[in-house]
Amino acid sequence: MTKELLRFHTVTKTFVSGQSQLVILEDLDFVLYSGTSVAITGKSGSGKSTLLNIAGGLDKPSAGSVSFLGRELGALNDKELSAFRNRHIGFVFQSHILLDDFTALENVCVPALIRGARQADAVKRAKELLDRVGLSDRLQHRPQKLSGGERQRVAICRALVNAPDLIIADEPTGSLDEESSSGIETLLTDIVREEGKTLLMVTHDTQLASRCSTVYLLHNRTLQEME
Amino acid sequence: MNMRFSMWLSGRLLVPKGESKYARLRLVRSAALIAIVMIPLVLALIFMDGMMNGITDKYILLQDGHIQLHVEDPLFDSQYDVSAIDPRLESADYVVSGYGIVYSRDTTAEVRIKGVDISYFNENRMTQLEFTGEPLKKEGSLAAVMLSTTIAQKLGVEVGQRVAFMVVPDSYSSVVRPVLANVTALYDSGYHELDSSLLFMNRDDAMRYFPKDRNAYTELLVSRDHVDDLGAIVATLESAMDKNFPYATWDEFNGTVYQNFITSRQVILLVFMMILLVAGVYVSSIAQEMIQDSMQSIALFKTLGATNSNLSWAYFCSVMVVTSIGLVAGVSLGLLIGSQIGVLLHWLGNSGLAGLQYYLLDFRIVISWRDILAISFSMLVISSVTVRLSLGRIRRISPLEMLQQD
Repeated sequence: MTKELLRFHTVTKTFVSGQSQLVILEDLDFVLYSGTSVAITGKSGSGKSTLLNIAGGLDKPSAGSVSFLGRELGALNDKELSAFRNRHIGFVFQSHILLDDFTALENVCVPALIRGARQADAVKRAKELLDRVGLSDRLQHRPQKLSGGERQRVAICRALVNAPDLIIADEPTGSLDEESSSGIETLLTDIVREEGKTLLMVTHDTQLASRCSTVYLLHNRTLQEME
Repeated sequence: MNMRFSMWLSGRLLVPKGESKYARLRLVRSAALIAIVMIPLVLALIFMDGMMNGITDKYILLQDGHIQLHVEDPLFDSQYDVSAIDPRLESADYVVSGYGIVYSRDTTAEVRIKGVDISYFNENRMTQLEFTGEPLKKEGSLAAVMLSTTIAQKLGVEVGQRVAFMVVPDSYSSVVRPVLANVTALYDSGYHELDSSLLFMNRDDAMRYFPKDRNAYTELLVSRDHVDDLGAIVATLESAMDKNFPYATWDEFNGTVYQNFITSRQVILLVFMMILLVAGVYVSSIAQEMIQDSMQSIALFKTLGATNSNLSWAYFCSVMVVTSIGLVAGVSLGLLIGSQIGVLLHWLGNSGLAGLQYYLLDFRIVISWRDILAISFSMLVISSVTVRLSLGRIRRISPLEMLQQD
């Protein structure tokens, strides 16, 4: 039986700039179940990334509430939110943001070290993941020495190192060429499925979206499920 | 708080790898600058303490002793071993002193005349003097005097020549006349201020020329470790000799000099504190620079779950390690250079810096570990406060803004 992982309850997000107010999300209700993969599509500026930021505890709704495994995120203080992101969320960004001065192995280890894992355990887990995505010969390479596709694979490993409940991916193939995109699509969806994780992804890529169990269109500040 | 992550990150910040050439240079430069601040502070401290102790020693050993027992007649024979009474005592000398004017063919010099026995120049005092000639050796009926090289130069006289002198009486009723004296030796204590006014005379001669206006007393020296026990030492003497002595101690009869030393030292330490405050501000700028260069990394660490305190501790530890390295290097180099300060001062003195002749250039190196520790500790405390204040910036870094997601 699938359990409820994430719930948006009448979430509204408004940005205020001077005198003007911009409503990005309005009374949005959304439930994400454990073990599913959900893609959100929509036009640029429609609020997809804002929705992901709120889901990942990086941003707060202007109104409404978000709960994760039954716990309301709005009730958490900064420290608790940090711990929540570290334990429960794995982030994959469009521009595969990595730490430039750190090796691929160190980049993957960081969330585990933040969690409090022993360095040896973090390294072991990171090596396993990097080996799984075919980067076992790139452990000591820095991001500048890796291709775009390789960097995104490192970012995926980093997202998985703490075995989080939810992987949040924001345009994971957005900055890659067609060949690299195809590889990352397969890797991301396969690895998330094999690890039994839940995937919440924003993408313009219809092929990638079609690999997910559910696809939503964010339009007019609300989500519409697509056939 | 996860200290393991903070320590790991701190280690990585201290040993930047890969392309971070600028980060490495910054750490080396920061430690070097802190060392450069510490070196002159330690040097100044060694110079100040060495010189003050040196001058104090000159005044005590050559001019006044540690204790003066104001008793008109000699208390001890010149060969008497006074340490038998109290082992803290090193010597006791009967001294006659007064003021006079010395005349040469061309000029005069006002001096303090100190009449002493030849045994006055014991091993302790000889460490403070350099002689030419035979001190206070009597030849004929003329008074035997020993001038300083400073006075001799002023008067234009040398060993073996004669000078005239006249005592300065305390009362107007006394009649005085100039008398001749043989210059049997010249001394140089290395301290211009003392040398410019002190003249040694054979004690028997001094007693002859200061019959009424003389100031006679027994001058006591105590061992270096017991200079704070002067009152107790006098009490032991009084008890052993079953007498009460009017006495004065060095800091009493040189009250102005003593207070000047204390005040100068306090002012200099205050100046040190101001310098340390400025250094502390510089240390905080290292933290600010490190944060400024790592804004995106910090935002990413926060996104991945690092707390503000995790990150603050990592940066705090890194900056404090750099500060400590600079501090240890600076203190070590300061001590190393300070141990050679005599050579340095002599070189400066010989290079023609006229002002240096008024300073004591030859003194025993004194390292005040307590003050060096206090300065180092202050530096660490001031730096830790300023760094903690500047680390508040980490709290204001927002993952959302820095990650620039659309």
